[in-house]
Amino acid sequence: MTSTAAPETKAPLFGEEEKRIVLDPMLDQNPITLQVLGICSALAVTTRLDVSIVMGISVIAVMAMANVAISLLRNLIPSKIRIIVQLVVVSGAVIIVDQVLRAYAFDLAKQLGVFISLIITNCIVMGRLEAFAMANPPWRSLLDGIGNGLGYAWIICVVGAFREIFGSGKLLGFQVIPDAMYEAGYVNNGLMVLAPGAFILLGVIVWVLRWIRGYTEN
Amino acid sequence: MNTNSNSYVMTFAVILCVVVSSVLALLATVLKPTQEAAAEFDRQKNVMMAAGLIERGDPRTREELEKLYADRVEQVVVDTVEGVIVKGDVDALNAAAAEKDEAQANRYRAIETAMTEDGKVDAIILPVSGKGLWSTCYGYLALAGDKNTVKGIQFYKHGETPGLGGEIENANWTAMWKGKKILNDAGELVSVTVKKGAVDPAKPNEKKHFVDGLAGATITSNGVSKFVLRDLKALGTYLQKK
Repeated sequence: MTSTAAPETKAPLFGEEEKRIVLDPMLDQNPITLQVLGICSALAVTTRLDVSIVMGISVIAVMAMANVAISLLRNLIPSKIRIIVQLVVVSGAVIIVDQVLRAYAFDLAKQLGVFISLIITNCIVMGRLEAFAMANPPWRSLLDGIGNGLGYAWIICVVGAFREIFGSGKLLGFQVIPDAMYEAGYVNNGLMVLAPGAFILLGVIVWVLRWIRGYTEN
Repeated sequence: MNTNSNSYVMTFAVILCVVVSSVLALLATVLKPTQEAAAEFDRQKNVMMAAGLIERGDPRTREELEKLYADRVEQVVVDTVEGVIVKGDVDALNAAAAEKDEAQANRYRAIETAMTEDGKVDAIILPVSGKGLWSTCYGYLALAGDKNTVKGIQFYKHGETPGLGGEIENANWTAMWKGKKILNDAGELVSVTVKKGAVDPAKPNEKKHFVDGLAGATITSNGVSKFVLRDLKALGTYLQKK
């Protein structure tokens, strides 16, 4: 865990430590594959790549905003009510994202529906606030938020891309599996558009990533 | 400073709530016009989808689609008592009617007509809305120029369970409505009913006036049958007038 307070020296703006903060959650500390957090939305919204991308961006935005806000307030927040303060800040950030999506991406907002609001309950967000932003300065917290958001986003985008290709033969709405294949008897895999399809894919991704990184459960 | 004293905790909580709610209120106010425009555009798209003017996921830009709506779709007001189209604003007409007689507060109803390129009535699009299981469902039912054959149905807003009642949005299901008749052979208004289970194509009556039920969504299905009938009946005089 990266919960140790960083010393406030004249560190470079983007040195080794910062790079680690952003890159660690991509693979070694990936919130989905290693920590198995945020699975619910990863299963629910990944039927298509475009929806996954918007969901990923939303989570990145929420995490960046919430991490910075909590980091700025970290010395003022009474520890008795810190969880509820974090919840208020996260809810505020999620409502901002939801309102912006409704104004500028109405169709996608409609498809994501309740799952945007449910970012509030995404364990990744609360986990990073509690483990990182409460103990680190704003700049690093921003990087941590973006890093973990990206770690979540790229996994759901991979799942979304697979599900869209094999579930409906398209990618971002464009047909990628040629008509000739369908004429030859190929059919879309209906399982892929349902939640169990995502579950299986996610399991495979977790396995592959853990195998590549040589991770073992203790 | 003791950040754990009761007074500090209270003050902190109050200030935080006020700040967060002000930010949200400001944002909501600023974004409201854009959101309303987006919702109106979505409604227009659904009207055109119900009328068969466009397909779901039409690749044209928003400007082109808004122009298409402005060119081809016309909002008209129906006098439900006389069964004729009248001129004027629906709210003003209803208010005037209600002043004379309370019971006539809903005498006038706004509907939309889609024109062919040479200006003939191609479809009559009626708003339908009512209770499903959890929520009020809002949609459009389009009838062909004969005021009898269903051209399409679209739901654009509802809060039904995704995968069950939420399937009222499913294109495969709404496609079943196409070609159904709302009037029986005697010319009476019977509407289209969502059946429990599948329609038996061997029975001519079912084939004409029924569509398959949604599996696992009996209450939503019944709700749709009920409010479609009710909204059609409200316009009955107009629809049965040849």
